[in-house]
Amino acid sequence: MHYEYLKRLETYVPEHVRPAATERLDLKAAIDAANLTEMWDMILTLDYGVSDPEQLSPEKRDEFLNVMSLLLQAFDK
Amino acid sequence: MLTRPNALFSEIGTQAIERGLADPVLSAFFETVMTAPRGEVQQGLKPYLPYLSLCSDKMKDGAPPPIFYVGRESGQRTLFGEDWATPTSPASGLRTPDPDLERASAEGYGKALDGTPYYGYARTEVHVNGETFEVAFERLIVAVRPALQSSVRFCAYFGVIQDLRRTS
Repeated sequence: MHYEYLKRLETYVPEHVRPAATERLDLKAAIDAANLTEMWDMILTLDYGVSDPEQLSPEKRDEFLNVMSLLLQAFDK
Repeated sequence: MLTRPNALFSEIGTQAIERGLADPVLSAFFETVMTAPRGEVQQGLKPYLPYLSLCSDKMKDGAPPPIFYVGRESGQRTLFGEDWATPTSPASGLRTPDPDLERASAEGYGKALDGTPYYGYARTEVHVNGETFEVAFERLIVAVRPALQSSVRFCAYFGVIQDLRRTS
């Protein structure tokens, strides 16, 4: 019973975090679909020095994701 | 009386860089891009990213491609400001806020995307947030791929402001 409780906690995503996390996943999926994954990787590693946006501070992560939103729009056909 | 046109956009050619006539950091960036081994150009961009603006390879109706990245020390950030460079909820791709400058600068991007690095000089008036400035700058535009086998290309723009003064 205790284990089940902990398991439920592991998958719990606080309400206030869920929208941002979903937005992030949606944006990454759109980047992949637009064949821009290499651009995502290049800017993330060269400019931000990480391989996953989760490793960034919230401010830096927002900044990076804004750049990725612009990237998507810039390559929109 | 000596007169001069309001705007001047002139291609100088990358030979001027090779002769040592360009800004030293711009020259170092050019040398890095031109001499990097295949597949290592991207890594070479790293120290220059603060000075670069990056845009796509999509030119529509003769306009320059939209910008998606504005380096922290880049000439465009200096000229157009922090709010322009980092929109908090971007609704569309970034464009130069001055339509005349936007139109006049398109040729350089076209050449770079045709495969020839573009190096030129410009002196023009720009209108930013209701104010008018006269700006003179040199600029280098090169087309790069994010990875060796990538089908995607982007333009790296290195602009160096030589003179900037408010005229109204």
